[in-house]
Amino acid sequence: MLKINGLYKRFGDKEVLCGLDMHVPANSVFGFIGRNGAGKTTTMKAVLGLIKTDAGEIFVDGERVRYGETQTNRKIGYLPDVPEFYSFMTAREYLRLCADITGMDKNEVASRTEELLTLVGLDTEKHRIGGYSRGMKQRLGIAQALFARPRLLICDEPTSALDPVGRKEILDILSAAASQTTVLFSTHILSDVERICTDIAFLDGGKNALCGKLADIKAKYRADEYVIETENAEGANALLAAFPTLVADGCALSLKDADGMLFDVLRFVSERGIPVIRVERSEPSLEALFVEAVEK
Amino acid sequence: MRGFVAFVKKEFTEQLRTGKLFMLAAVFALFGIMNPAVAKLTPWMMEQFAESLAQTGISITEYEITAFDSWLQFFKNIPMALIIFVLAECGIFTKEYASRTLVLCLTKGLTRRRVMLAKTFVLSILWSVLYFACFGITYAYSAYFWDNSVVCSLGFAVLGWWLLGMLCVALVPFFSALFDANTGVAAGVGGVIVASYLLGLIPRLAEYTPAFLMKSAPLMYGQADSGEYTYAVIVTAILIVASVAAALPLFNKKQL
Repeated sequence: MLKINGLYKRFGDKEVLCGLDMHVPANSVFGFIGRNGAGKTTTMKAVLGLIKTDAGEIFVDGERVRYGETQTNRKIGYLPDVPEFYSFMTAREYLRLCADITGMDKNEVASRTEELLTLVGLDTEKHRIGGYSRGMKQRLGIAQALFARPRLLICDEPTSALDPVGRKEILDILSAAASQTTVLFSTHILSDVERICTDIAFLDGGKNALCGKLADIKAKYRADEYVIETENAEGANALLAAFPTLVADGCALSLKDADGMLFDVLRFVSERGIPVIRVERSEPSLEALFVEAVEK
Repeated sequence: MRGFVAFVKKEFTEQLRTGKLFMLAAVFALFGIMNPAVAKLTPWMMEQFAESLAQTGISITEYEITAFDSWLQFFKNIPMALIIFVLAECGIFTKEYASRTLVLCLTKGLTRRRVMLAKTFVLSILWSVLYFACFGITYAYSAYFWDNSVVCSLGFAVLGWWLLGMLCVALVPFFSALFDANTGVAAGVGGVIVASYLLGLIPRLAEYTPAFLMKSAPLMYGQADSGEYTYAVIVTAILIVASVAAALPLFNKKQL
């Protein structure tokens, strides 16, 4: 859906993008992760043809993006980090403007407006946008971005300025939107990525430090490590005495199953009747993967 | 075309709901009324000052007010109305740069060309309607109190100032493509008009400058023929087209 090849962008003497390559597959929810100032917004604006890049190519659905031209934007819905609207309009009037700009069939405008305002919870709102809270503007931002049924929805840090309730609402809406479109969203909140993304890319030093399907990346970095948590300290101590290589964190004991030790531990637990709260395979956290990718 | 019409509609709604249209309409209507009113009140004002002026040795003789006085007031006041118009509207682009509201429209596929042309079109309509409304009010009152037919080439003199206003309108998108702040746009528009005025001080260049169109009194008194303004009209028209044409590529490459 989106292909970026060798993208370079310099602001003064600061090189923000140094040969970024990225591929966003169709029908994915793509998390574009990076520290503040890593170049996420610059990349997104380049995709939208809003800034001139120094080198590289961008293709949206096979069509090349050119700076200053907006033809490819007909396939894109865009939600900026802080969306700004014409404050003198109501949400319905604004969506009507979007419909006219995108050339939507006039018969469809009213039903699509109601459908999206209901999706984002603004269907009963009659006031002008000037009186909206930040969360309401963000929700209207999603509605306008989805209005013309874009092939690609680009969201620039859609949750970073919101409170926990607002964040949950936006993530739920984006999850729902993912059934209709490819979603690319930038963020530095890794829990948001783990919650809804199917694919990720870590941006560091102006390049792609790690990219691929979230499940594949996690599998690749997954160590054969397990955690057993006993109900009481006696059980944990008995296990520690029998298996000195276990690493204890309170009643939670972790082990590396390099030589099939897990089954010996489970047999020991079963024979002694040690009460257990959980036995689970440890998943590598996104934070750990991010730090590892960045430090490489 | 639908995108252009939608954006024009949005611009007019903005002018209306932000109160700018009402403010400008009030200013132009006030000027329209003031022109004949000041002319009508001139004898009364002279009478009020006659005594104090007499003490300084100036004696007031009876002076007959005609439509000339009303139209002289019109051409004295219209520069102020034009300045107010430019100051009120010079932020039509830059306000959207600052608020980033334009970004969402552009990312929906609305071309920058349409945005620029829509805003220029709205400014042209606003200037034309407000200016001719002001003219209409002055004309109606002047016709009621006096006789407008005593003024020579009134139509051409009025069109000259309208054309000068259209040049200011065309300069707004040009300087908005160059500057990010409305102060830059206002200074640019003002700078061009001042430069034109200064060039007009050179006798050989005077009739080729847009500022020549400001000289409405010789036309009204029949001391000048409208044909003498041909070069100024042509130069102004070329500048209007050139400003808009140059603004298009500049605006296309502007970083938003």
